[in-house]
Amino acid sequence: MKKNTFYLISGCIALALLLIFWYSVELHTPVLIEIAFIIGIALVYLAQRRVTGVINDERDVKIGEQAMMRTMQVFWVVFCTFSIGAVMQILYVPTFPRPPSGSPPPDLLGPRMIGYIQLGLLCLMIFLYVGFRIYYARKYGDFETDEE
Amino acid sequence: MKNKIKIFRAMHNLTQEHLAQAIGVNRQTILAIEKEKYIPSLDLAFRISRYFGVNVEEIFIFDEKTPVLVSHE
Repeated sequence: MKKNTFYLISGCIALALLLIFWYSVELHTPVLIEIAFIIGIALVYLAQRRVTGVINDERDVKIGEQAMMRTMQVFWVVFCTFSIGAVMQILYVPTFPRPPSGSPPPDLLGPRMIGYIQLGLLCLMIFLYVGFRIYYARKYGDFETDEE
Repeated sequence: MKNKIKIFRAMHNLTQEHLAQAIGVNRQTILAIEKEKYIPSLDLAFRISRYFGVNVEEIFIFDEKTPVLVSHE
């Protein structure tokens, strides 16, 4: 399989996932999109293994490793900070000084908003990875030009 | 880590593409090594030197001033 065919297949899978996501929202069944997402990613990995004519050498591997390491170094801090706050809210941890009896602490984020923000943070991870990948690709000479 | 790949290529009348294909890497990797943007692994350094039929030290010049962790920055 050629590289462009792989990109085409990946695009089709992404589009199908988007449609399933919409259908899943309509039916109020999250299991549908969850299963479809796992199958979609598995199909992308399978298609990736069949791509020919592309040499993935040690420099490519190093760029990928470094980009992912830096992404995780930033992402896990942001994600954990938010998740700890969200869990505290769900667990209804009392605040200090204690509010007058009977009145619950102010609801900063609803469960729906927590879900949206977590999805946004996952998108942030993708942007971070792309950014770091471009940075390391530049650092290790991906955009160098030569007389040849 | 300085290197003389470009000189050896010129001596053997080889393009970056040909050398890359011969040792199983991308042309961009050869270019990055020549421009000293990327320090190759020991394995790749040996493959390059074996291809030209010389010792590693004849192609790659160890620079003592280079920090050990330079490739992990």
